[in-house]
Amino acid sequence: MDVTYILAQLFNGLMLGSFFVLLSLGLSVIFGMMGVINFAHGAFYTLGAYAAYTLCYVLDLGFGWALLIGPLSVGVIGMILERTLIRKLYNVPHVYNLLLTFGLMIVLVEFVRLIFTSVGKPFETPGFFRGSVDLGFIMFPKYRIFIILISSLCATVVAILMSKTRLGAIIRAGTDDSEMVSALGINIPRVFTLVFGLGAALAGLAGVLAAPVQNIVPDMGSEILVLTFVVLIIGGMGSIIGAILGGFIVGELITLGVVFWPPIAYTLLFFFLAVILLARPRGFFGRAKFFE
Amino acid sequence: MKKLLQKLFLSVLSLSVVIIGWISLGLAAGPVKVGLISVLSGPLAPIGQSELNAALMAVEEFGPVFGQKVELVWRDHQFSPGLGNERAKELYEKEKVDVIVAVPNSAAALAVSDQAERYKKIFISTSAGTTELIGKNRYTFKYNFNDYMLATTVGRWGAKNLGKKWYTITADYAWGHDLLKNFTAAFKEEGGIHVGNDMVAVGTSDFSPYILKAIKAEPDVVAFLNVGKDAVNATKAAVEYGLKRKAKLVYALLFELDIKGAGLELFQEGYTAAPWNWQVNIPGAREFSDRYYKKYGDRPTFMAAAVYSAIWQYLSVVKKIGTTDTEKVIQALEGHRFADMFANPGYIRPEDHLQVASAFLLRVKKPEEVKEKEDFFEIVGSLPAEKVHPPVGFFKTLR
Repeated sequence: MDVTYILAQLFNGLMLGSFFVLLSLGLSVIFGMMGVINFAHGAFYTLGAYAAYTLCYVLDLGFGWALLIGPLSVGVIGMILERTLIRKLYNVPHVYNLLLTFGLMIVLVEFVRLIFTSVGKPFETPGFFRGSVDLGFIMFPKYRIFIILISSLCATVVAILMSKTRLGAIIRAGTDDSEMVSALGINIPRVFTLVFGLGAALAGLAGVLAAPVQNIVPDMGSEILVLTFVVLIIGGMGSIIGAILGGFIVGELITLGVVFWPPIAYTLLFFFLAVILLARPRGFFGRAKFFE
Repeated sequence: MKKLLQKLFLSVLSLSVVIIGWISLGLAAGPVKVGLISVLSGPLAPIGQSELNAALMAVEEFGPVFGQKVELVWRDHQFSPGLGNERAKELYEKEKVDVIVAVPNSAAALAVSDQAERYKKIFISTSAGTTELIGKNRYTFKYNFNDYMLATTVGRWGAKNLGKKWYTITADYAWGHDLLKNFTAAFKEEGGIHVGNDMVAVGTSDFSPYILKAIKAEPDVVAFLNVGKDAVNATKAAVEYGLKRKAKLVYALLFELDIKGAGLELFQEGYTAAPWNWQVNIPGAREFSDRYYKKYGDRPTFMAAAVYSAIWQYLSVVKKIGTTDTEKVIQALEGHRFADMFANPGYIRPEDHLQVASAFLLRVKKPEEVKEKEDFFEIVGSLPAEKVHPPVGFFKTLR
């Protein structure tokens, strides 16, 4: 097999993985800290894409603004939802918040459908990023390189936030034992709201980035949500490193599947998932207490 | 004598009442009822809505039959075969429609076809692609397009005019597989070579790995055997990775709806086939499109035009033979030759109830070529009926 071609596909897999990284970072932290299995995460992704459409095509602002305002607005929506609805269910079994977030997902998607209708919305690659770059082994679209760079940047920033800042220490401690952290005088509810907002904003950013490359329709988040959960389980729920590594691994697995035999693409992934669940349920970097 | 006269008067009176009642009962047999089942909600709603609009126009413009206005009864099946089946039962049994038209989604159409046979009423399938509907039973008529015709039109014309090396990207379900089979047969007949195929799960959002594969195969033409969202996502990736600059892109089905949803810049210079387009050079087509535009604010899809034509032809036949009796209508439709704004000439084959007519090749215009609203396609070629439909016997026959 052609080495250049495989290299090209592997590089492309990084791009696929970038979306998973952004989505699973948020989901991982939300689950890790608050035990909330956020089914509405796919809806945040969708909201991000529609925010980009509204900012760029309805309000005629530049893509740079979409990158800034989009994730922020989705983050704010996330925080509002956390404050009003999700925090009611922290002390009950996981099943309840699963149902709530599932319901929220449906409501948010239908809300989008109500405002924007079911017909797809157009979105062109922003002018600055049009064209491809000759990387030697492939002519790679500039915009997709941008996606890889931005996601890596975000992943790094979040990782540094978690490990080097006081807020990060609080979040990590809160993941371990939120009652204790609260007893230390820290306003845990506020931290929870912030974390949820951060997770939502990351999903929103993924949505904004996806707008030029994926058809903007109300149910655009359903496929990627399922795959994001797979990433989380493989990488480990509640782990930042796990989310990052898991995201890129899944992106590459799917790509390799497509290269060798397309029907196997997703099967390969789910087979890998099954192996993980059997051999090491916590995933590569997950915390044992959740599953064992 | 008085009593005798009274009795005579009473009997004549009652006899008259009976006779008048009997006559009016015969007259009050009810208006002709046409049923329409289509997708009126969800992402495909604009297509169903255009079909409903056309049906309403047809019924109104045709005028009364047997002295009464034709009644149109419609239901939404949400593109679901199960719901389509239920609605068909409801329309045939409770509403007592004489005919059902439309029904997009091949599985739903097959179900309705079975109901038509069960209730011994007519079903004119204008909106589904599967060739399984052709010659399925006496009560089913296949109108408008089908997978064989789409594939053959583009495949044959494309292999002659666009290029010989074909790469296909196929939606991995029944319809996609059916299209693939028909497309490869068609382009191979004109000397085309199949350099590769990818089966892609329906709903896939990222086509980039498949586009990379396609680029490696160095085709002249890339055929997208999928529809709607999938076709948009595939095209986005093709544009991004530069495939569009290297090969011609061809679509199994492409609607104005998709172009409006993703932008003309994305689809420009793409090719597709259709049995009709609002700008086609058939007498009456432009006038129909203008009337539709005036009433509904956009241009009719070929699905809408087919529904209009199907209803019009059905009503014409009923009016001519003077009854809606199913058997008599079937016999009248078999071998029916007609010319309207949709098919000129049009013909319904008696052996398999297939409506045949020419088909057209469409090129998606560049944005600067658009002269009026919804002027998305240029008609670059046409193929006559005998080139796009196979001879009798290729599909199932009823005789």
